[in-house]
Amino acid sequence: MESVGSFGIIVGIAARFWPVWIALALLLAGVVRYKRKLGLLGHLFDSLIGIGGVLICAFWLFTAIFAHWIAPLDPRVQVSVMKNALPGAIDPETGMVFLLGGDQLARDVFSRVIYGARIVLTIAPAATLIALLVGITLGLPAGYFGRGVDHVLSFLANLVLAFPVILLFYLLVTPGIMETAIPYVMAGVLFLFPIIFFCTLFYTRYKERPEKLYIYLAVTLVVGFWIYAGLVFNADPLGIISIEPNELNIFVAVVFASSPGVFRIVRGLAMDIKTRDYVSAAQTRGEHPWYIMLWEMLPNARGPLIVDTCLRIGYTTILLGTLGFFGLGMGPESPDWGTAIKDGSQVAQLRLYFWEGLTPALALMSLVLGLNLLADSMREQSLKD
Amino acid sequence: MNDIAPKNAAPILEIENLSISFFARAFEIPAVMDFSCTVMPGEAMGIVGESGCGKSTVALGIMRDLSNIGKIVGGRIKFQGRDMGDMSDAELRSLRGSKIAMIYQEPMASLNPAMKVGKQLMEVPLIHEKVSKAEAHQRSVEMLKAVRLPDPERMMRSYPHQLSGGQQQRIVIAMALLSKPALLLLDEPTTALDVTVEAGIVDLVKDLSRRYGTSMIFVSHNLGLILETCDRITVMYSGEAVETGAVRDVFDRMRHPYTQGLFRSIPLPGADKNKRPLIAIPGQLPLPHERPKGCNFGPRCHHFVKGLCDAAEIPMIPVSGHDNHFSRCVRFNEIDWSATPPGAKTQAEPVKPGAPVLQVADLRKYYRVAANEVFGGGEGRVVKANESISFEARESETVAIVGESGCGKSTLAKVLLGLETASAGSVKLGNKEIQSTGVEMRDVQTVASIQMVFQNPFDTLNPSHTVGSQIIRTLEKFKVGKNAEERRQKMLALLDLVKLPRAFETRKPRQLSGGQKQRIGVARAFAGNAKVVVADEPVSALDVSVQAAVTELLMDIQRKNKTTMLFISHDLSVVRYIADRVIVMYLGYIVEQGTTDQIFAPPYHPYTEALLSAIPIADTSVVKKHIVLEGEIPSAMNPPTGCPFQTRCRYKHLVPDSLCEKEVPPSRDLGQGHRSLCWLSDDVLAKMEPVITVT
Repeated sequence: MESVGSFGIIVGIAARFWPVWIALALLLAGVVRYKRKLGLLGHLFDSLIGIGGVLICAFWLFTAIFAHWIAPLDPRVQVSVMKNALPGAIDPETGMVFLLGGDQLARDVFSRVIYGARIVLTIAPAATLIALLVGITLGLPAGYFGRGVDHVLSFLANLVLAFPVILLFYLLVTPGIMETAIPYVMAGVLFLFPIIFFCTLFYTRYKERPEKLYIYLAVTLVVGFWIYAGLVFNADPLGIISIEPNELNIFVAVVFASSPGVFRIVRGLAMDIKTRDYVSAAQTRGEHPWYIMLWEMLPNARGPLIVDTCLRIGYTTILLGTLGFFGLGMGPESPDWGTAIKDGSQVAQLRLYFWEGLTPALALMSLVLGLNLLADSMREQSLKD
Repeated sequence: MNDIAPKNAAPILEIENLSISFFARAFEIPAVMDFSCTVMPGEAMGIVGESGCGKSTVALGIMRDLSNIGKIVGGRIKFQGRDMGDMSDAELRSLRGSKIAMIYQEPMASLNPAMKVGKQLMEVPLIHEKVSKAEAHQRSVEMLKAVRLPDPERMMRSYPHQLSGGQQQRIVIAMALLSKPALLLLDEPTTALDVTVEAGIVDLVKDLSRRYGTSMIFVSHNLGLILETCDRITVMYSGEAVETGAVRDVFDRMRHPYTQGLFRSIPLPGADKNKRPLIAIPGQLPLPHERPKGCNFGPRCHHFVKGLCDAAEIPMIPVSGHDNHFSRCVRFNEIDWSATPPGAKTQAEPVKPGAPVLQVADLRKYYRVAANEVFGGGEGRVVKANESISFEARESETVAIVGESGCGKSTLAKVLLGLETASAGSVKLGNKEIQSTGVEMRDVQTVASIQMVFQNPFDTLNPSHTVGSQIIRTLEKFKVGKNAEERRQKMLALLDLVKLPRAFETRKPRQLSGGQKQRIGVARAFAGNAKVVVADEPVSALDVSVQAAVTELLMDIQRKNKTTMLFISHDLSVVRYIADRVIVMYLGYIVEQGTTDQIFAPPYHPYTEALLSAIPIADTSVVKKHIVLEGEIPSAMNPPTGCPFQTRCRYKHLVPDSLCEKEVPPSRDLGQGHRSLCWLSDDVLAKMEPVITVT
């Protein structure tokens, strides 16, 4: 079989990423031009670590967005002659180059890694975000009120933290459990938190100004329940938002497992911020406790929370990889990186066809590295302020 | 102290034209410029100045401990005749802690919390003098006795957190003196402590330096402390020494406008809020990279002359008639030093107090502390934070509540504001009882009419919201104004009221200085036309010159709005200046209350007498009676039986039958509303002498 050689592979890959390069260039130009006005993002560009973090994360983000332009083939298409083809091999029929070779089911490894990014970069940030909102909504009252509320919530959080995560996942994706309503009930409860959070947020702030309050509440409820219907009941009336039942399981499991971590951080921050004079000042003018929590305390906890979210997206990425590797949740054909690493590692002669597992592993590693660098430099910045 | 050193002795420390800069990113920030001073053996040099003037940097520069971003960029420091710049790191290390020792502001931060006190003390002789363990132990115990700590052997076995702040600072001093240093650097050693504890530490430091002949550099913002402890003084402003000389020369005949400005903005015994108000220094300390050419103080100086003061850098000019008195002012011979600056208020109409606005009767606040959170049950203890508090405050009156930490003054404020509810007794605001309604249950009118100004300017505003939005939120909450535009106008009017530019509307709190933040705090408290404003040490965290401005502002607004102010403070000099009536609290009790004149003149309550004696006064013409209280403030968890003050009272032996230890004394009326919580008989009280006399 003909091949383009290593130089050809590099040039070929670089060329396929053209939308990403353009997007990155625009991003860089924008940052350089408006550096002073950008606040945190501008400050990130003061250090090499920050630049590295932003570039790696942006690279994968743009890859996920433009996956359909970058990837030459659909990740599920099999070209039987290309089974276990070497990187750079040319398909004799169409003349297309399999830049990173083919896997044992004769699919294009390059295309699969690109589409894998899309799955990872949808589920990991979305799950983290929901976990964040769950953690905030429960952590703030635990830290602010203390006593009974804190005891009950902390005990529940400890229960979840003490339960072995992998076992939890095995349980959740067991066919027996999947057929019951448990995952849907969990999804129904967990996804309710963001709606509660935003409603409380706007209600406490604009109680005195009904004209604004009604608009915000209406928007929150409509958008919230639209997404809610799509995710939990798979009944989006517009048909835009839908999720595979097994992906929903994974999603719920990840949110469930990482919310107690966020809860603890928020609780600790709230206990610290509670002692500040501006909280007392808000109390002495008769503010509602939820106003104090959401508008006086939460904005001042944002530094550590942003850093934690960044790291947490990384953990979630690894978690997704682990689940995929164990074959939990994702469909067998799914191009996500964890499944791809599993497929690649099960080739008969791993040493001969190493690229099949190595490529998605490198992709996963670089994304997590980028997120950690980003979190690192943000921590530096938040220490300076 | 000065007479110990022979006239021709070699100086311990000579600093010549020292300049220190900090390097951050690409900038060089000069922190200290052209600083010179000489310290003779046995001499105490005081360095005063406001925050950011570089006084602590000088101290750290002497220790050569400027972290990795600070650098000495010019000048020399000679210690016992040797240039410290020529010494190797090893030499410097052996010098630090043995020949030069430093005492920092926070005692807890200077002690290792994981090591027993004894071990930390013994380290000093073990490392520097390589003595045996037994000898080190012996010396440590002796030194603990020298710093007047009770039961030294027990102290040696304690961990730092088991000791009180005053005891910790004594340990730090003992540690510093263990190696018999030639030079002791003290960086605000008593700022974190209570006044009566501070008086004890100052007394100790004076006594020890006399006994061991140690030279001292005493860094402080408190002119009164410098007068009590030092022989010579250097006043710093914006990185430069502006005036230096013998303490009495500088205090009585200062020759720099900044020094004079400082003295005019502290409430000395002669000041009076109606007849002789304080005069604040206008403007703000310039940022290090925005210092003007010529005199740094120029832009804030009343005597500024264009072309003369800003022509060139000004050297230190000797003042004739005084030994070693220098001033960095080119015009000090032309200035009329007794004239008050133009535009300063000279007199104000005294206000007549109206009807009672706030009446507190037999108020009690107890906290139940469970011995164990989970399995506590019946073992809970009761902490009595406030015990039978009764007083009233009238319209446009200022009532000061004085006391040291743990006396219950903050708890009282919390109950008044509704953050806590009272356990017993009553609080009447107007004619409404509010003692058991928490702030959330109070109606808008009540909430708006009792408001608070907080202590810490860096904490009082939410760093995440703009100044304008924070004030508008308060207005919204108090239902002031009908719509958003009206509230905005009211907010701008409030900014005018506290004399801040309207452009501050869109600023974030971090862009404001401490004094400006405190002004916003004042604006917020007065937003809903408060009838009663509780001011919890509103100026104690501010610099001296800013303190005067904020104090005057508070009083101006109070005068205009006929507000009742409860002024919580530990500083009796401010209280004498600002208050009409004074309440002195100790361990939850009101021990004495009366008009300001009654409190500041005999007969005193023994605690008030000690408090009065403890405040350092920056006036050479004042003679104080020297009273230092023994022991520490008892814990509220474990209060003494009988009179709360009996453990430290020096009059206890004059009361028969040890009545003080058995029963709480009644609150006795000494005439005209002057009440005192004491068993002392009338003839003992009549014999009391005034603590402060002006000669």
